[in-house]
Amino acid sequence: MGLPPKATFPLSLLLLFFLFLVLSTSAQQEEFSEELLLKPLPDRKVLAHFHFQNEAPLAADSFARHHHLFPKSISQLVQKFHIKAMELSFTQGRWNYERWGGFDPISSHNAKPPGVELWAVFDVPLHLVDASWRNLTHSLSGLFCTSINFLESSTAYSSPEWAFQSALGSLRYGTLPREAVCTENLTPWLKLLPCRDKAGLSSLMDRPSIYRSFYHSQRLHLTMSSAASDGSRSGIILEQTLTVVLQPNDQNAGMSNVGEIKIQPSWSLSSIFGRKISGRCVLAKLSNVYLHADRGLVAQLETSQKNTAHFATNDTGPEDFRRNSGFELSVAPKRVLKELDKSSSVLYEYPIKEYKDIEQFDLGLMWEHPIVWSSPHAPFYASRFLVGSGNERGAIAISLKSTEMTQQLVANNIEDSCKLQVNVLQVVPWYVKVYYHTLQLLVDERPQVLTDFIERMRVSPSEDKVSPGMMELVLQVPCAMKSAVLSIEFDKGFLHIDEYPPDANQGFDIPSAIISFPDFHAGLQFYDKSQSKSPLLSKLQEKSPVLSYTEVLLVPLTTPDFSMPYNVITITCTIFALYFGSLLNVLRRRVGEEERLLKNKDAKKGVFLRQVLTNLSAKLRGKPLESTPSVSSSSSSSSSSFVSPKLILRVLLVAGIAIAWQYYSQ
Amino acid sequence: MAEISDSPSTSKPVEENTQSLTPQVDPKATRNTKPGIKRLIISVSVLVSFILGFPLLWKSIEIYRAPLPFDRIDSFSSQVEGNPLSFPCRFQVIFIGFEFKASHREVGAAITRKMLDLGRGGDCGGCGGNYSVAVAVERGDVGAFDFGGKLRGGDEDADEWVRSVVSEYGGGNAYSVVLVNEEGEVRSVVGKYRHAWIVGRVEEEEAVLRVAEIFVKVFVNGADEEGSVRSEFMPVGADGKIVLSFSLLNADPRDWIYDWNFREIDETLLQPVIEALQPLANISVESQVLYHTPKSSFSYWDDKHGSHIFTSKDLPFFVNSNEWHLDTSVAAGGRSKVLQLVVYIPSAKECPLQLKLPNGDISKTNGFISPMWGGVVVWNPQSCIKDLESKDPVRSTISPQDLRTLFEVLLGQLRQLLGLKSDNLYVGESGASILLGSERGFTEWELDVLSRKHICFNLLSCATTLGSLSRLVQSLPRMIIMDEIGKQVKFSLEAANFAQSNASIGIYDASAVSSRQSRSLAEDAFFHPSIMSISYYSFEHCFAIYSPFFLPVTMHVLLAALREWKRYKQENMKYLTVKTKAKVS
Repeated sequence: MGLPPKATFPLSLLLLFFLFLVLSTSAQQEEFSEELLLKPLPDRKVLAHFHFQNEAPLAADSFARHHHLFPKSISQLVQKFHIKAMELSFTQGRWNYERWGGFDPISSHNAKPPGVELWAVFDVPLHLVDASWRNLTHSLSGLFCTSINFLESSTAYSSPEWAFQSALGSLRYGTLPREAVCTENLTPWLKLLPCRDKAGLSSLMDRPSIYRSFYHSQRLHLTMSSAASDGSRSGIILEQTLTVVLQPNDQNAGMSNVGEIKIQPSWSLSSIFGRKISGRCVLAKLSNVYLHADRGLVAQLETSQKNTAHFATNDTGPEDFRRNSGFELSVAPKRVLKELDKSSSVLYEYPIKEYKDIEQFDLGLMWEHPIVWSSPHAPFYASRFLVGSGNERGAIAISLKSTEMTQQLVANNIEDSCKLQVNVLQVVPWYVKVYYHTLQLLVDERPQVLTDFIERMRVSPSEDKVSPGMMELVLQVPCAMKSAVLSIEFDKGFLHIDEYPPDANQGFDIPSAIISFPDFHAGLQFYDKSQSKSPLLSKLQEKSPVLSYTEVLLVPLTTPDFSMPYNVITITCTIFALYFGSLLNVLRRRVGEEERLLKNKDAKKGVFLRQVLTNLSAKLRGKPLESTPSVSSSSSSSSSSFVSPKLILRVLLVAGIAIAWQYYSQ
Repeated sequence: MAEISDSPSTSKPVEENTQSLTPQVDPKATRNTKPGIKRLIISVSVLVSFILGFPLLWKSIEIYRAPLPFDRIDSFSSQVEGNPLSFPCRFQVIFIGFEFKASHREVGAAITRKMLDLGRGGDCGGCGGNYSVAVAVERGDVGAFDFGGKLRGGDEDADEWVRSVVSEYGGGNAYSVVLVNEEGEVRSVVGKYRHAWIVGRVEEEEAVLRVAEIFVKVFVNGADEEGSVRSEFMPVGADGKIVLSFSLLNADPRDWIYDWNFREIDETLLQPVIEALQPLANISVESQVLYHTPKSSFSYWDDKHGSHIFTSKDLPFFVNSNEWHLDTSVAAGGRSKVLQLVVYIPSAKECPLQLKLPNGDISKTNGFISPMWGGVVVWNPQSCIKDLESKDPVRSTISPQDLRTLFEVLLGQLRQLLGLKSDNLYVGESGASILLGSERGFTEWELDVLSRKHICFNLLSCATTLGSLSRLVQSLPRMIIMDEIGKQVKFSLEAANFAQSNASIGIYDASAVSSRQSRSLAEDAFFHPSIMSISYYSFEHCFAIYSPFFLPVTMHVLLAALREWKRYKQENMKYLTVKTKAKVS
């Protein structure tokens, strides 16, 4: 009212402009970002972690019908099967928790069991969950060119309640440990990215170098994002990651002489992938490359800097970070993020957008002198093995070994009351018949009473050919514990001949057990000034429980000889035929008549040769020679027919036919 | 087993028998006693029990095959292929301002004759050969002038007006033509409903020809020229669904990125079309935007047109199936038909991209269709100059006007895919007629044509599916056929019969429903999982399992029976000769 008309006009224009801005942003909410995290690993390897995130608003009318960036097939899946959350991973190789670390977000999110792992949470009534799961497995196997449809049968999946991804609702979990992962799975996965591998960071994915790697895991994670205001679901987030552990080719292998310590190999993007980044994916809101130096490495660098006393303080320009005492980076980072903690890791950030002047972005790392460090470990190092021999019974043992982390905890805690929570989820197929009453716990190699340590336990026993057995455990172990072994005995079951997979003699896989430590959170707390919304950074900072997978076990079961049924049929039939034929012959035999005939024959042609033969045969049988010709043995009769010209003719005929057959069949 | 248990009891008499025979003097030539038939009975009874047991065994190893009505399938498919389905159609002509010497009946007969000359109506989904035309004549020049004036006005108004006139003459579902004899040039228009009108100075002969042509070529056959799209192909899935998948392809997003406001166009332009096609198929729409999708054919620069040119020879290679991940829809069921409608935006180095027709002209729509797959339209941005200054590509949205024209082209392509004309002019032998377009995309008479063709196509494909099923089943005698397949075949045939009988009465909707049902049931039967599985149990396998027992045993049994029979005959002869000798002596 107080405003003069002159002022209201630009104001209303401004308002309109703002309104337009708001409208345009709300319409264009589908966002895509691509990021790559590189990290040198202590054992001369390099970790490359690609992270793509695609976000779409969940507008009721047009969701799963009209999309600009978000893949149509995934949104239709979500719509059709009412998926609340889902994760699908394809992995080849095993994450080495000892060397590559087990306490950082990457290892607890992206270290996956070999083969295919799928879990999904559905937003449907309880009795429809299984049907949705079955349909989903079929759709996914079509989408990703895999045999995920084998997870359809109720023997292949289970529904853990609290040991894994708790508080999400009706969850189904299944793994296929033997699934081979290759490029035919990567291509449909890449198809979900707007730029595929035509541009941007994904163009680095050179198939030979990825599949030559020590470990690679491609993952697809779907979650619903909730609005900040009322917590209702507002959008869907599709997170696609590819984690690769590569061995860089040693560039100065010729220069480093023998006898020297194993020096960390210097590497660059082009040396590990054989390609360079030639530009970003133009559709991405954000495309960054990060280089992560973990705590151990930074600590080592700092000590070496102190030793050499070249420590320039408080000069934190980016150029200084390019050169530090340990290594040299070929490209200067735009930003350096440090963790808040005292002994902190460092993250170098390279937004591809800002390296326009360089034709091709090729980040390289040159080590100046050898550094030895180790990655942070999970509180316990978990492994699993089989006990026992033979095809009848055995036992599964899960062992937990303390690492330097728990030793630190013990050092910090003077009181003895320190306890650690360990969750264990173990799924066994039905043909491995586990006896849950034989569960034993050895702490520091001494058997212990289970109830002292187990806080909660949930067992759903297996049902033959219906469901797998599942055991969820919550253990409370003292921090000072050096080692613990959980063992459980089982009998090996028998399968029907139809149920054996091809190559049954290879053995049967028991899927990985999941060990999680809910007291510990793997999350890096970076001091982030710019408040930029990088999905990878927020993922790294997310507090999530430390999780590790054990090895897949291979159980040899008794496998039948698969040609056996036919052999049995043939041999029984032959015996029956023999029996039947001889019976029939006995029935129609005329003993008296035969004897008479023989007598006559002998009387007619009493040849000397035959006489000799009968004598010989009688001698051979060790019987006294019977002079009476009335009783003649069957052998003499057979020998008499043996030399008959008719028989010789027949034998010749058969031989001739056989030769002719042989000749013509060739 | 019965023979085996008998053996101890029979063996004793055998010994007795032989003992009784031993005192015989010359057994070779003579025989005094009647030959015994115990052994013969034993071996023959074993043989007989084997022969009797064989059918039982055969029955036990028989494979379950539900009886399929092969003769009904054969007669049905020969019927569908032999005399195509035809629907009863009613025609009506209203002459205004004509002075006929002949009676109405004769005029009607003349038109019918002309119609029969133009086309036998033997096509599937036609109106049959026996047309009946009703004729009404309104006399008086004043009326004609009045009518002419109204019809010379706007076509839309005239259409509504003619509709009211036609309904006065009681032509609800009949196809009508109104002829107005009046001064001025001849103008012929086909309306949105089931009528057309011709205004102008028309001779009677010519009028008859024109009316007949409009009836046969437009109303019955959908103004479709020969060979544009074959009428047997109707891109409707077996479950009666079509998924229209619209994709916007940015060939190279590094040059420019275009987006579209699809939701708006969906609401304004597509929904009426979907509603109009509701009786024909259940249509759903989805859209996506794809990037980095170059075409796989080459184009060349043409100075004359000032653009890059791709010719109709390149069209088979235009669709790049390696890079265009158009995808079938997950949301749609397995039987739905997905039609891909693609808008292609060329990259900067091939912009503007134009389609050159075989006659040398540049295509106006700049698009093409591929029957049963979908259509592609190339859309060139306003200015094809890439902004070299900024490294970031320009993000823009296709303007609503451009989008509207694009979708008009795409809808024209959809009409072509369904087998209709995409332009609004029909040129026949007797002259051109304007086809009035409907805002819903499809006029009523076009929908009639489509649903007739649809029913016919469904029945045809049902017949071919059932025919191949019966051939398959007959060629594999040891294939298991579940009861369910038999039921599906039976129901499919019933539904097909129902559709045929409904069609002959002229109830389109019910006929469409049951024809669709018959087709989907036939496909259900053909693609039944039990047929697809490997449960086919071959005869060789069966033989391999049973031969180790039956081959040797049969040899024994046959030989034993044969020998015993021979011996019995021989001995009997001897006995008889001895007997006769004794008698004689």
